[in-house]
Amino acid sequence: MASRRAFLAGLAAATLPRMSWAEAGNPSYLAAAQLADGTFALHGLSAAGHSLFDLPLPARGHAAAAHPTQALAVAFARRPGTFALVLDAVTGSVAHRLAPPGNRHFNGHGAFSADGTRLYTAEQRADDSAGIMGIWETAGFTRTGEVLTHGIGPHDLKRLPDGSLIVANGGIATDPTDRTKLNLDTMRASLARLDGDGTLLSLAEMPQEYVQNSIRHLTLIPGGVAMALQWEGDPAEAVPLLALWQEDQITLCPAPLAEAARMQGYAGSIAATAGQIAITSSHGGVIQIYGIDGAFQQTLTRIDASGIAAQGDGFLVTDGTGALTRITAAGITAVETMPLAWDNHLVALDGAV
Amino acid sequence: MRAMILAGLLLATPALADVPTAVTDHILPGYANFTETAAGLAMMAETTCAPDQLRPAWNAAFDAWLGIAHIRLGPVEDEGRALAIAFWPDPKGMGAKQQAAMIAGMDPMGLDPVAFRQASVAVRGLMAMERLLYPEAPLTGDYPCALMATTAADLAQTARDVQAGWEGGFADAVLTAGADGNTRFLSEVEARQALFTQLITGIEFVKESRIARPLGTFDAPRPDRAEAKASGRAGRNIVLSLTALRDYAAALDPDAVTTLAAFDRAIASAAALPDPTLAGITDPAAWLKLEILGQQVQAAQDAAVTEIGDALGVGVGFNAADGD
Repeated sequence: MASRRAFLAGLAAATLPRMSWAEAGNPSYLAAAQLADGTFALHGLSAAGHSLFDLPLPARGHAAAAHPTQALAVAFARRPGTFALVLDAVTGSVAHRLAPPGNRHFNGHGAFSADGTRLYTAEQRADDSAGIMGIWETAGFTRTGEVLTHGIGPHDLKRLPDGSLIVANGGIATDPTDRTKLNLDTMRASLARLDGDGTLLSLAEMPQEYVQNSIRHLTLIPGGVAMALQWEGDPAEAVPLLALWQEDQITLCPAPLAEAARMQGYAGSIAATAGQIAITSSHGGVIQIYGIDGAFQQTLTRIDASGIAAQGDGFLVTDGTGALTRITAAGITAVETMPLAWDNHLVALDGAV
Repeated sequence: MRAMILAGLLLATPALADVPTAVTDHILPGYANFTETAAGLAMMAETTCAPDQLRPAWNAAFDAWLGIAHIRLGPVEDEGRALAIAFWPDPKGMGAKQQAAMIAGMDPMGLDPVAFRQASVAVRGLMAMERLLYPEAPLTGDYPCALMATTAADLAQTARDVQAGWEGGFADAVLTAGADGNTRFLSEVEARQALFTQLITGIEFVKESRIARPLGTFDAPRPDRAEAKASGRAGRNIVLSLTALRDYAAALDPDAVTTLAAFDRAIASAAALPDPTLAGITDPAAWLKLEILGQQVQAAQDAAVTEIGDALGVGVGFNAADGD
């Protein structure tokens, strides 16, 4: 039985003109950037990787979430985030401005439900870094509730094909005013799977041997997710920075020692095609390619490589020099360089290939 | 930082002199010197495995490596070569464990320089040679002797491979950055940024690994974590790596007077460390001297970021500087 509030919200949605992604030029990707004049924007990119539009942002962005049907993009602020903007990708206007409730910060990522009626946001309690998933209805973008993510410092959040949500609890408690890490000696990352109402379905923890590996970013693979890790232990140890989560188990995917060291303990973004998984390291200026089974394949070099998304059988990569490059079996080729600095992530829209 | 990144994006100040100078006056001669000394060590290791006879050649090769070890770009990153030359820090003692296992099992890989190239980087290179030349207990039998020759031959081959990679294409890729078909460096700014990054991460490595690891804390110094502890080279390695970084900084920007002066102060302090093995840092006065050296290296890094970064019109990467 629909509540009065939901009914009214649905009515409102029905009466407001909402544009489809076609009217925004059918972008395949979203990416935040710092522009040449020092301001910030969210770009929509074509399937080939060319900018179709840019929407101004008031401050440095991190990642974005795209509504499955309507031309609405939610741009999340850099951590600790005090805002998220729902942007109309056709007009460029701010449709809604979301602010976390008191004692909450946005953590840079979020996802829509498959039908687009809900937005889920990764957040943490400011005072103790406890993980929170905010739940918002999308007719008027009001907050309808929140649940615990059963971990500390959640970061990425993805919707699984069955509609459940998977949250990367990074495990790191941070100072409420900045990013100072407070608990590296006791941290433990985990992946929580929640149903659409936020009920915990399963929880998988980082294996003890790599307990100082923080789970930061996720990408879907058949039967689970692949995750990009960031090592908070001794930087001289070259540990695995890719892990797979399948059947509620976390399995780490080591690279050969000398290759592992090139990541400098830092995997910034992750993407998967049907056959491969790729992780980027802006610190190491490299991209590492693994098989979909997590077996290491190769390391490629690209300065400040950060955002990555699947493009057919290959990948598109964005970096801080403004370059967008393509990775195929033949190697790296340049697509386009723009006078801006691409920020952490390149987000593929649902249905993009 | 923000202004610097944008300067890198937009202004593209044509500081053309810096990149060729760094390549031709610093990087290529540095690799040639390393190749030559590593070949000398390998040649001698074919004729003797007496540690006292080999140590001078090994020290010469290590000295030469420190002249160029901060360049972690291009051929030295392929096939794990940088770590195959110098696998350190090694907090879990993998090199020692794996080498001991090789010796105990008389692993045939250790007898064949070609097969040895497939061995773990932890058992190869200068640090592996150090364990053979400065063993805790004397090594006996033919196998360690043969392993010494194999390790030295492998090191010499790795040095040749890196030099050949630079001379056979990578130097051109750096020098023709931005030219059509150059997929490695899409613009001249990128080449400058890449060379600049080597300077900053090189200073960072001296500060974080060579100084901060043994420094530990005032209450818990960690002299056991000093580099090349068995040979007592820790202090020498700090002096030589700072000297090489100063040389590299001067090649990138000869007018960087603040940076070069900061290097000079740090090098003088490093040369004056009371105990070149760093074993003495359990003494509070010696510990403080090493801590001050760390601050001076930090000052050189800060100066280089500002002064040389501005001169080259580049900065530390936009995302590398602010990850999440």
